[in-house]
Amino acid sequence: MRGPAIDERYFDKLAQTVIDGQEEECLRVIHEGLNNGMDPLEAVEKGLAKGINKVGNDFAEEIVFLPELVMAADVMKAGMKILDEKIKAEGKERKSLGKIVIGTVKGDIHDIGKSVVAAVLQANGFDVIDLGMDVEPDAFIQTVVDNDADCLGMSTLLTLTLSVMGETIKKMEEKGLREKVKVIVGGCPVTQEFGDEVGADAVGFDSKDGLTKVSELLSV
Amino acid sequence: MKGFTGKLVGSLYPITEEECKQIHKSAVRVLEEGGMRCDDERAAKMFERAGCRIEQDGKLIKFSEKIIMEAFDKCPGNFKLHGRHDPELDINIGHDEVHFATVTGRYIEDFRTGERRQATRQDAIEGTRIGDALENVHGLYKSVMWIYDEPKICNSQILVAEQMKNTNKTSTWVYNTGAEHEIPDLIKIWGIAAGGAEALKERPHLIGHVIANPPRVVDVNYTSWLIGFCDAGIPVTVYSALMGGATGPATLAGMLVQIMAETLALVVQVQTYKPGHPLAFCSFNPSMDMRTGLWSFGNPEYGTVGTGIAAMARRYGVPCVGFCICDSCDTDQQTSYEKALKLYNYALSGIALTWDIGGMAGFNFVTWPEMVLENEVASFIGQYLKGIRVDEARMAVDEILQVGPLPGSYLNRRHTRDWYRKEFLIPELSNRDFFESWERGHTELQEKAKHKAAKILETQESPVKPEIQKEIDDYLDFVVKRDVG
Repeated sequence: MRGPAIDERYFDKLAQTVIDGQEEECLRVIHEGLNNGMDPLEAVEKGLAKGINKVGNDFAEEIVFLPELVMAADVMKAGMKILDEKIKAEGKERKSLGKIVIGTVKGDIHDIGKSVVAAVLQANGFDVIDLGMDVEPDAFIQTVVDNDADCLGMSTLLTLTLSVMGETIKKMEEKGLREKVKVIVGGCPVTQEFGDEVGADAVGFDSKDGLTKVSELLSV
Repeated sequence: MKGFTGKLVGSLYPITEEECKQIHKSAVRVLEEGGMRCDDERAAKMFERAGCRIEQDGKLIKFSEKIIMEAFDKCPGNFKLHGRHDPELDINIGHDEVHFATVTGRYIEDFRTGERRQATRQDAIEGTRIGDALENVHGLYKSVMWIYDEPKICNSQILVAEQMKNTNKTSTWVYNTGAEHEIPDLIKIWGIAAGGAEALKERPHLIGHVIANPPRVVDVNYTSWLIGFCDAGIPVTVYSALMGGATGPATLAGMLVQIMAETLALVVQVQTYKPGHPLAFCSFNPSMDMRTGLWSFGNPEYGTVGTGIAAMARRYGVPCVGFCICDSCDTDQQTSYEKALKLYNYALSGIALTWDIGGMAGFNFVTWPEMVLENEVASFIGQYLKGIRVDEARMAVDEILQVGPLPGSYLNRRHTRDWYRKEFLIPELSNRDFFESWERGHTELQEKAKHKAAKILETQESPVKPEIQKEIDDYLDFVVKRDVG
């Protein structure tokens, strides 16, 4: 039985799964496409990235809002996991605007604000590695090193855990990473003064501000 | 246009059912014992035909409860105001749907220059265009009270013509200049806008105001308008324009009794002249500011009496509409609290249509950015009116069980995506910035409103068919030549 043609319409279908937040359908389309000779790099560029960019633009225009954005980012992430493995296996490399490791610092389990920032960054073309919450300084640093990341984003909602940000930045300095890796911090108690004090490159006050600052830091 | 609905519409009663009966009995007593002074022979004949007791050679009319209640038997419980040539713009004037309309002012602040000045013909056009574009504006009052750069004698005709040329939304009319040809001219223009006199009767697109002159007078001007509106098939409001402490008592219950007495007299008058003609009660009940003698619209008493009129209307089985104006002379915090509180109370009491959007300073001042801002206030009120809707899908028990405990989140859930737009208000202009972000830079609300108003005026074209605009212009030419030469 002949499979579907892998053409623009097929990639549009893949993009639409991201726009609609349909993870199962996205994975089905990816598997079906790969089984029918779909180029994984093309699938990212013309399918997943096109979909997430549309959602990102619609988010900026206030046509869609966070639920659509976060769901799209989740679908993108699930799809990318399969496609990245395939790209790696084929010895190819995918380009991105920059690689950002992000997480909520140790001692804090507030996840949502950070996840929103991750989704906004992802929707605007950045590769985001989200470590979730309660992240140890060493885990941040190891992930940055392992993934050759361009930027580290740390978040907290609690005043008590603010110190973890400074601790992490200090450890990055000790390991000689600060020249290469930009650091942005954010969360409700984080002020510009605090960011300056701990040596962060920028403070993101909300998701859109975070996107602006990361784009500036990485000269995008 | 679908108005705002929800379980809270009509939920506010400032008086109990028993108190409604007391107000009714008292109003009837006023009409039985004191009656209404009647300044118009045509009106006296109408009341005579209704069976009222005529005294003082037709100058004093006394009413029985039977006559009053027979008049209510003829009143429709609800009716429609129609969009011109567009059924999507129809609005239901009844008890379960709330609508908002623009209101007027003599002065305007030009949002481009900041200049406060008397209104012009161009302002009348722009105000109509803005009202036409705003999604929570279901109807329009005249955009400006008078056009100061046009002759007084045909001011009303020009005002109405410009409105009819620039929107198809429903409108309203209150006696304006008293010029000789005002009534037939306006009815002619409304007819042209509707597609002819018969079309106006079949699909009336405005509501006209018939007002008693307080205390207790049926006057000539409003009798003329009553006849004009009824003959043209235009639904009417009937009300008293009393001012508490001056032309009405200085107690809220007393104001309500007199308002009801005068309103009931007009109900009899309308239903005698044209049985079955659609009518609505109306709230326009300022009180006197005892420091200055000026009428005050922004006071809580106005809003409270207004909701009392709505409660009485519900009891009689007729709809209620109303005016919601503030005293503040600027687009400031006072405007916000005076109008928002009253408007919300009106919506809760089920007032079907409120003229409110854009006007300040007791019909003296209007701005387009304020119109834009109040369009947003209307969306907030519409959201409040919904109340909490309880059903299986909304209670979301399965969702709660699946997501929690932490670290689960609802943000990336299908249920959230499916419901948030239906259950949450996402305002267009209101600020919800993070404090630091806002501190570092933001656009003030007034600026956002100005920007939106400017954008509407740059992009909004008249939805009115060119041939109708031309016919209106042709008639207006005739009027101007006749009246001005």
